[in-house]
Amino acid sequence: MFYNKLLSKIFNACSGNSGLKSASLRNTSAKYISTTARRDDLNEFFDIKENWGVPEVKSGRGWTKDDLRIKSNEDLHKLWYILLKERNMLLTMEEEAKEQVKLFPSPERLDKVRDSMKNLEDVVRERNKAYHLLETGKDGERPVEKYINPFGMNATKRLYEYPLPKHMNKKWLENHVPYKENNKDIQQFQLKLGENTFMYKKRKRTRDFNHVIGLLNRFPNMDMEALKGQYPDVDIEKAKRSRKYKGWD
Amino acid sequence: MSTRWYPLYQTGGPQLRVFLPNFWMKLVRPTHDQPQNVVQFSCSMEMTTPDIKNYLEKIYNVKTIDIRTRIALGKTKKQPGKGYIIKDDDIKYAYVTLHSSQKFDFPDLFPERKEDEADKRTMDEIKDGFKKYLETTKNRPNLPGWFSI
Repeated sequence: MFYNKLLSKIFNACSGNSGLKSASLRNTSAKYISTTARRDDLNEFFDIKENWGVPEVKSGRGWTKDDLRIKSNEDLHKLWYILLKERNMLLTMEEEAKEQVKLFPSPERLDKVRDSMKNLEDVVRERNKAYHLLETGKDGERPVEKYINPFGMNATKRLYEYPLPKHMNKKWLENHVPYKENNKDIQQFQLKLGENTFMYKKRKRTRDFNHVIGLLNRFPNMDMEALKGQYPDVDIEKAKRSRKYKGWD
Repeated sequence: MSTRWYPLYQTGGPQLRVFLPNFWMKLVRPTHDQPQNVVQFSCSMEMTTPDIKNYLEKIYNVKTIDIRTRIALGKTKKQPGKGYIIKDDDIKYAYVTLHSSQKFDFPDLFPERKEDEADKRTMDEIKDGFKKYLETTKNRPNLPGWFSI
Protein backbone atom coordinates (compact mmCIF):
# COMPACT_ATOMS: atom_id res chain seq x y z
CA MET A 1 0.00 0.00 0.00
CA PHE A 2 2.87 2.28 0.90
CA TYR A 3 4.48 1.63 -2.45
CA ASN A 4 1.23 2.05 -4.33
CA LYS A 5 0.44 5.22 -2.49
CA LEU A 6 3.80 6.70 -3.40
CA LEU A 7 3.45 5.61 -7.01
CA SER A 8 0.03 7.14 -7.28
CA LYS A 9 1.27 10.34 -5.70
CA ILE A 10 4.07 10.53 -8.24
CA PHE A 11 1.70 9.94 -11.11
CA ASN A 12 -0.66 12.53 -9.77
CA ALA A 13 2.22 14.95 -9.52
CA CYS A 14 3.41 14.16 -13.05
CA SER A 15 0.03 14.32 -14.69
CA GLY A 16 0.40 18.04 -15.42
CA ASN A 17 3.35 17.70 -17.78
CA SER A 18 3.81 13.98 -18.15
CA GLY A 19 6.67 12.70 -20.25
CA LEU A 20 6.42 9.75 -22.60
CA LYS A 21 7.56 7.23 -20.02
CA SER A 22 5.15 8.20 -17.31
CA ALA A 23 2.25 8.31 -19.76
CA SER A 24 2.92 4.80 -21.00
CA LEU A 25 3.45 3.53 -17.47
CA ARG A 26 0.20 5.03 -16.38
CA ASN A 27 -1.66 3.28 -19.16
CA THR A 28 -0.22 -0.11 -18.32
CA SER A 29 -0.52 -0.07 -14.56
CA ALA A 30 -3.40 2.28 -13.88
CA LYS A 31 -5.57 -0.59 -12.68
CA TYR A 32 -3.41 -1.43 -9.68
CA ILE A 33 -2.98 2.05 -8.30
CA SER A 34 -5.11 3.26 -5.43
CA THR A 35 -5.09 7.02 -5.20
CA THR A 36 -5.12 9.01 -2.01
CA ALA A 37 -6.31 12.58 -1.87
CA ARG A 38 -3.62 15.24 -1.50
CA ARG A 39 -3.89 17.02 1.85
CA ASP A 40 -2.26 20.39 1.81
CA ASP A 41 -2.11 21.23 5.46
CA LEU A 42 -0.74 20.28 8.84
CA ASN A 43 -2.70 17.00 8.78
CA GLU A 44 -0.01 15.72 6.45
CA PHE A 45 2.15 15.38 9.54
CA PHE A 46 -0.19 12.63 10.75
CA ASP A 47 -1.00 9.25 9.33
CA ILE A 48 -4.39 8.75 7.67
CA LYS A 49 -7.22 8.44 10.14
CA GLU A 50 -7.82 4.71 9.52
CA ASN A 51 -4.34 3.97 10.90
CA TRP A 52 -4.79 5.72 14.23
CA GLY A 53 -4.51 3.27 17.09
CA VAL A 54 -4.12 0.27 14.78
CA PRO A 55 -1.66 -2.40 15.98
CA GLU A 56 -0.19 -2.94 12.53
CA VAL A 57 0.01 -0.90 9.31
CA LYS A 58 0.65 -2.94 6.18
CA SER A 59 3.17 -1.50 3.73
CA GLY A 60 4.95 -2.67 0.60
CA ARG A 61 8.64 -2.57 -0.12
CA GLY A 62 10.66 0.62 -0.46
CA TRP A 63 12.26 1.98 -3.61
CA THR A 64 15.27 0.05 -4.86
CA LYS A 65 18.01 1.55 -7.01
CA ASP A 66 16.74 -0.32 -10.05
CA ASP A 67 13.28 1.20 -9.54
CA LEU A 68 14.75 4.67 -9.38
CA ARG A 69 17.17 4.35 -12.29
CA ILE A 70 14.32 4.18 -14.80
CA LYS A 71 12.71 7.36 -13.48
CA SER A 72 13.31 10.81 -14.94
CA ASN A 73 15.11 13.49 -12.95
CA GLU A 74 11.85 15.32 -12.47
CA ASP A 75 10.16 12.26 -11.03
CA LEU A 76 13.07 11.68 -8.65
CA HIS A 77 12.88 15.25 -7.48
CA LYS A 78 9.18 14.88 -6.74
CA LEU A 79 9.64 11.52 -5.10
CA TRP A 80 12.23 13.01 -2.75
CA TYR A 81 9.65 15.42 -1.33
CA ILE A 82 7.09 12.63 -1.01
CA LEU A 83 9.59 10.55 0.93
CA LEU A 84 10.52 13.56 3.03
CA LYS A 85 6.87 14.08 3.97
CA GLU A 86 6.42 10.38 4.68
CA ARG A 87 9.45 10.44 6.98
CA ASN A 88 8.18 13.52 8.81
CA MET A 89 4.81 11.82 9.24
CA LEU A 90 6.40 8.65 10.63
CA LEU A 91 8.69 10.63 12.96
CA THR A 92 5.69 12.58 14.25
CA MET A 93 3.72 9.39 14.88
CA GLU A 94 6.70 7.77 16.58
CA GLU A 95 7.25 10.77 18.84
CA GLU A 96 3.58 10.86 19.83
CA ALA A 97 3.63 7.11 20.50
CA LYS A 98 6.58 7.66 22.83
CA GLU A 99 4.73 10.50 24.54
CA GLN A 100 1.58 8.40 25.04
CA VAL A 101 3.58 5.28 26.00
CA LYS A 102 1.96 3.33 23.18
CA LEU A 103 3.44 0.97 20.64
CA PHE A 104 4.37 2.64 17.35
CA PRO A 105 2.83 0.38 14.69
CA SER A 106 5.14 -1.06 12.01
CA PRO A 107 8.35 0.85 12.73
CA GLU A 108 9.99 -0.86 9.73
CA ARG A 109 8.33 1.82 7.59
CA LEU A 110 10.90 4.30 8.84
CA ASP A 111 13.74 2.04 7.69
CA LYS A 112 12.10 1.61 4.30
CA VAL A 113 11.81 5.36 3.83
CA ARG A 114 15.39 5.88 4.99
CA ASP A 115 16.71 3.26 2.56
CA SER A 116 14.62 4.67 -0.28
CA MET A 117 16.01 8.14 0.35
CA LYS A 118 19.53 6.77 0.46
CA ASN A 119 18.96 4.94 -2.83
CA LEU A 120 17.51 8.04 -4.44
CA GLU A 121 20.50 10.11 -3.43
CA ASP A 122 22.85 7.46 -4.78
CA VAL A 123 21.05 7.39 -8.12
CA VAL A 124 21.19 11.18 -8.41
CA ARG A 125 24.88 11.01 -7.61
CA GLU A 126 25.44 8.34 -10.26
CA ARG A 127 23.78 10.54 -12.86
CA ASN A 128 25.76 13.55 -11.71
CA LYS A 129 29.02 11.63 -12.06
CA ALA A 130 28.11 10.36 -15.52
CA TYR A 131 27.13 13.86 -16.65
CA HIS A 132 30.33 15.47 -15.41
CA LEU A 133 32.49 12.71 -16.89
CA LEU A 134 30.90 13.34 -20.27
CA GLU A 135 31.09 17.11 -20.07
CA THR A 136 34.38 17.78 -18.31
CA GLY A 137 36.20 14.44 -18.08
CA LYS A 138 36.12 14.56 -14.27
CA ASP A 139 33.50 13.00 -12.08
CA GLY A 140 32.72 16.24 -10.24
CA GLU A 141 33.09 14.64 -6.81
CA ARG A 142 34.71 16.43 -3.92
CA PRO A 143 38.47 15.76 -4.25
CA VAL A 144 40.28 13.93 -1.48
CA GLU A 145 43.85 14.85 -0.55
CA LYS A 146 46.40 12.65 1.19
CA TYR A 147 48.58 14.42 3.70
CA ILE A 148 50.72 13.82 6.77
CA ASN A 149 48.89 14.97 9.89
CA PRO A 150 50.60 16.76 12.82
CA PHE A 151 51.29 13.38 14.47
CA GLY A 152 53.18 12.20 11.41
CA MET A 153 50.54 9.67 10.35
CA ASN A 154 49.12 9.32 6.85
CA ALA A 155 45.65 10.80 6.62
CA THR A 156 43.11 11.95 4.05
CA LYS A 157 40.83 14.95 3.98
CA ARG A 158 37.98 16.10 1.77
CA LEU A 159 38.82 19.41 0.19
CA TYR A 160 36.70 22.48 0.65
CA GLU A 161 36.47 25.69 -1.34
CA TYR A 162 37.96 28.69 0.47
CA PRO A 163 37.41 32.28 -0.61
CA LEU A 164 41.07 33.09 0.16
CA PRO A 165 44.29 31.28 -0.74
CA LYS A 166 46.13 29.60 2.15
CA HIS A 167 48.88 32.19 2.59
CA MET A 168 46.33 35.01 2.88
CA ASN A 169 43.90 33.18 5.14
CA LYS A 170 44.94 34.37 8.61
CA LYS A 171 42.43 32.24 10.48
CA TRP A 172 43.54 29.09 8.68
CA LEU A 173 47.19 29.92 9.33
CA GLU A 174 46.44 30.41 13.04
CA ASN A 175 44.63 27.10 13.40
CA HIS A 176 46.78 25.06 11.05
CA VAL A 177 49.31 22.80 12.77
CA PRO A 178 51.93 21.54 10.31
CA TYR A 179 53.85 18.29 10.71
CA LYS A 180 57.27 18.97 12.25
CA GLU A 181 59.75 16.17 11.70
CA ASN A 182 62.27 17.30 14.31
CA ASN A 183 59.82 17.76 17.16
CA LYS A 184 60.91 15.53 20.04
CA ASP A 185 57.39 14.70 21.20
CA ILE A 186 56.36 13.69 17.71
CA GLN A 187 59.47 11.53 17.37
CA GLN A 188 58.69 9.81 20.67
CA PHE A 189 55.11 9.29 19.55
CA GLN A 190 56.26 7.85 16.22
CA LEU A 191 58.60 5.46 18.03
CA LYS A 192 55.84 4.20 20.29
CA LEU A 193 53.37 3.99 17.45
CA GLY A 194 55.87 1.93 15.45
CA GLU A 195 56.43 -0.36 18.41
CA ASN A 196 52.71 -0.75 18.90
CA THR A 197 52.04 -1.69 15.28
CA PHE A 198 55.07 -4.01 15.24
CA MET A 199 53.91 -5.84 18.36
CA TYR A 200 50.36 -6.05 17.02
CA LYS A 201 51.58 -7.65 13.79
CA LYS A 202 53.94 -9.99 15.64
CA ARG A 203 51.22 -11.14 18.03
CA LYS A 204 48.82 -11.64 15.14
CA ARG A 205 51.40 -13.79 13.34
CA THR A 206 51.90 -16.00 16.41
CA ARG A 207 48.19 -16.19 17.09
CA ASP A 208 47.41 -17.23 13.51
CA PHE A 209 50.24 -19.79 13.50
CA ASN A 210 48.97 -21.42 16.70
CA HIS A 211 45.40 -21.29 15.48
CA VAL A 212 46.36 -23.09 12.27
CA ILE A 213 48.06 -25.83 14.32
CA GLY A 214 44.90 -26.17 16.39
CA LEU A 215 42.81 -26.43 13.24
CA LEU A 216 45.13 -29.08 11.80
CA ASN A 217 44.86 -31.11 15.02
CA ARG A 218 41.09 -30.89 15.15
CA PHE A 219 40.38 -31.35 11.44
CA PRO A 220 43.15 -33.49 9.91
CA ASN A 221 41.26 -33.98 6.61
CA MET A 222 40.72 -30.28 6.09
CA ASP A 223 40.85 -28.61 2.67
CA MET A 224 44.43 -27.31 2.67
CA GLU A 225 43.79 -24.89 -0.19
CA ALA A 226 41.04 -23.16 1.81
CA LEU A 227 43.29 -23.00 4.86
CA LYS A 228 46.06 -21.46 2.80
CA GLY A 229 43.59 -18.97 1.37
CA GLN A 230 42.35 -17.90 4.79
CA TYR A 231 45.79 -17.71 6.43
CA PRO A 232 48.19 -16.78 3.60
CA ASP A 233 50.94 -15.61 5.97
CA VAL A 234 51.17 -18.92 7.82
CA ASP A 235 53.73 -21.47 6.62
CA ILE A 236 51.72 -24.70 6.91
CA GLU A 237 54.76 -26.97 6.45
CA LYS A 238 56.42 -25.18 9.34
CA ALA A 239 53.23 -25.52 11.41
CA LYS A 240 53.32 -29.30 10.82
CA ARG A 241 56.91 -29.46 12.08
CA SER A 242 55.88 -27.84 15.37
CA ARG A 243 55.86 -29.92 18.53
CA LYS A 244 52.27 -28.81 19.14
CA TYR A 245 51.15 -30.62 16.00
CA LYS A 246 49.79 -34.06 16.91
CA GLY A 247 49.34 -35.57 13.45
CA TRP A 248 51.79 -37.74 11.50
CA ASP A 249 52.80 -36.84 7.98
CA MET B 1 18.45 24.42 3.38
CA SER B 2 20.14 21.14 4.09
CA THR B 3 22.91 19.74 6.24
CA ARG B 4 25.07 18.93 3.23
CA TRP B 5 28.16 20.82 2.13
CA TYR B 6 27.59 23.37 -0.58
CA PRO B 7 28.19 21.74 -4.00
CA LEU B 8 31.54 22.36 -5.66
CA TYR B 9 31.95 24.69 -8.58
CA GLN B 10 32.26 22.70 -11.82
CA THR B 11 34.02 23.97 -14.92
CA GLY B 12 31.86 25.25 -17.74
CA GLY B 13 28.15 25.36 -18.41
CA PRO B 14 25.41 26.46 -16.10
CA GLN B 15 25.92 25.01 -12.63
CA LEU B 16 23.31 22.25 -12.63
CA ARG B 17 22.32 21.43 -9.09
CA VAL B 18 19.55 19.23 -7.74
CA PHE B 19 18.19 20.50 -4.49
CA LEU B 20 17.22 17.73 -2.09
CA PRO B 21 16.75 19.11 1.42
CA ASN B 22 17.28 16.56 4.15
CA PHE B 23 15.84 18.46 7.10
CA TRP B 24 13.14 16.81 9.18
CA MET B 25 10.31 18.31 11.20
CA LYS B 26 8.05 16.68 13.75
CA LEU B 27 4.73 18.10 14.81
CA VAL B 28 4.70 17.56 18.57
CA ARG B 29 2.17 17.95 21.33
CA PRO B 30 2.83 21.40 22.87
CA THR B 31 4.82 21.27 26.12
CA HIS B 32 2.85 24.20 27.53
CA ASP B 33 -0.64 25.40 26.68
CA GLN B 34 -0.56 27.50 23.52
CA PRO B 35 -3.09 29.72 21.74
CA GLN B 36 -5.16 27.79 19.22
CA ASN B 37 -3.26 29.12 16.22
CA VAL B 38 0.21 28.22 17.54
CA VAL B 39 1.75 24.89 16.56
CA GLN B 40 4.85 23.40 18.11
CA PHE B 41 7.38 21.54 16.01
CA SER B 42 10.67 19.90 16.80
CA CYS B 43 13.09 20.16 13.90
CA SER B 44 16.64 19.59 12.71
CA MET B 45 19.16 21.49 14.78
CA GLU B 46 20.55 23.27 11.71
CA MET B 47 17.21 24.82 10.75
CA THR B 48 16.78 28.58 11.07
CA THR B 49 13.52 30.51 11.15
CA PRO B 50 13.59 31.34 7.41
CA ASP B 51 14.30 27.67 6.74
CA ILE B 52 11.25 26.64 8.73
CA LYS B 53 9.11 29.25 7.03
CA ASN B 54 10.17 28.09 3.56
CA TYR B 55 9.89 24.42 4.51
CA LEU B 56 6.28 24.79 5.66
CA GLU B 57 5.22 27.11 2.87
CA LYS B 58 6.86 25.37 -0.06
CA ILE B 59 6.52 21.73 0.94
CA TYR B 60 3.38 21.70 3.09
CA ASN B 61 1.61 24.75 1.69
CA VAL B 62 1.06 26.13 5.20
CA LYS B 63 1.20 29.89 5.52
CA THR B 64 2.95 31.15 8.63
CA ILE B 65 2.73 34.49 10.37
CA ASP B 66 5.51 34.19 12.93
CA ILE B 67 8.12 31.65 13.92
CA ARG B 68 10.15 31.46 17.10
CA THR B 69 12.67 28.79 17.97
CA ARG B 70 14.35 27.62 21.12
CA ILE B 71 16.82 24.89 21.93
CA ALA B 72 15.79 22.66 24.82
CA LEU B 73 18.70 21.29 26.80
CA GLY B 74 18.80 17.50 26.92
CA LYS B 75 18.47 15.94 30.33
CA THR B 76 21.63 14.95 32.17
CA LYS B 77 21.35 11.79 34.22
CA LYS B 78 23.32 8.91 35.62
CA GLN B 79 23.52 5.76 33.57
CA PRO B 80 21.54 3.30 35.68
CA GLY B 81 23.78 0.60 37.13
CA LYS B 82 26.97 2.23 35.82
CA GLY B 83 27.35 5.55 37.60
CA TYR B 84 28.73 7.70 34.82
CA ILE B 85 26.78 10.68 33.55
CA ILE B 86 25.00 10.65 30.20
CA LYS B 87 23.17 13.43 28.41
CA ASP B 88 20.23 13.28 26.04
CA ASP B 89 20.46 15.17 22.76
CA ASP B 90 19.34 18.77 22.65
CA ILE B 91 16.11 19.42 20.76
CA LYS B 92 15.24 22.45 18.68
CA TYR B 93 11.62 23.48 19.06
CA ALA B 94 9.83 25.85 16.71
CA TYR B 95 6.67 27.69 17.66
CA VAL B 96 4.80 28.50 14.48
CA THR B 97 1.99 31.04 14.56
CA LEU B 98 -0.71 30.54 11.93
CA HIS B 99 -3.25 33.13 10.87
CA SER B 100 -5.64 33.97 13.73
CA SER B 101 -8.59 32.54 11.77
CA GLN B 102 -6.94 29.10 11.73
CA LYS B 103 -7.24 26.70 14.62
CA PHE B 104 -5.19 23.65 15.29
CA ASP B 105 -5.86 21.04 17.95
CA PHE B 106 -3.45 18.20 18.37
CA PRO B 107 -5.54 15.11 17.57
CA ASP B 108 -5.71 11.96 19.67
CA LEU B 109 -3.54 9.73 17.49
CA PHE B 110 -3.75 6.62 19.67
CA PRO B 111 -7.41 6.27 20.66
CA GLU B 112 -8.43 3.40 22.94
CA ARG B 113 -9.63 0.52 20.82
CA LYS B 114 -12.23 -2.01 21.84
CA GLU B 115 -10.75 -5.42 22.44
CA ASP B 116 -10.82 -7.53 19.34
CA GLU B 117 -12.77 -10.78 19.34
CA ALA B 118 -9.62 -12.81 18.71
CA ASP B 119 -7.78 -11.12 21.58
CA LYS B 120 -10.66 -11.81 23.93
CA ARG B 121 -10.85 -15.46 22.91
CA THR B 122 -7.15 -16.05 23.53
CA MET B 123 -7.39 -14.27 26.88
CA ASP B 124 -10.31 -16.51 27.92
CA GLU B 125 -8.37 -19.59 26.85
CA ILE B 126 -5.41 -18.54 28.95
CA LYS B 127 -7.65 -17.92 31.97
CA ASP B 128 -9.35 -21.31 31.59
CA GLY B 129 -6.00 -23.03 31.27
CA PHE B 130 -4.72 -21.42 34.46
CA LYS B 131 -7.88 -22.43 36.36
CA LYS B 132 -7.42 -26.01 35.20
CA TYR B 133 -3.78 -25.92 36.27
CA LEU B 134 -4.73 -24.66 39.74
CA GLU B 135 -7.30 -27.44 40.12
CA THR B 136 -4.96 -30.23 39.09
CA THR B 137 -2.15 -29.07 41.38
CA LYS B 138 -4.38 -28.30 44.35
CA ASN B 139 -3.62 -31.52 46.26
CA ARG B 140 0.14 -31.64 45.70
CA PRO B 141 1.80 -28.54 47.11
CA ASN B 142 5.54 -27.85 46.80
CA LEU B 143 5.79 -29.86 43.59
CA PRO B 144 6.62 -28.38 40.20
CA GLY B 145 3.82 -27.96 37.66
CA TRP B 146 5.21 -30.49 35.22
CA PHE B 147 5.22 -33.22 37.90
CA SER B 148 2.11 -35.12 36.93
CA ILE B 149 0.87 -38.63 36.20
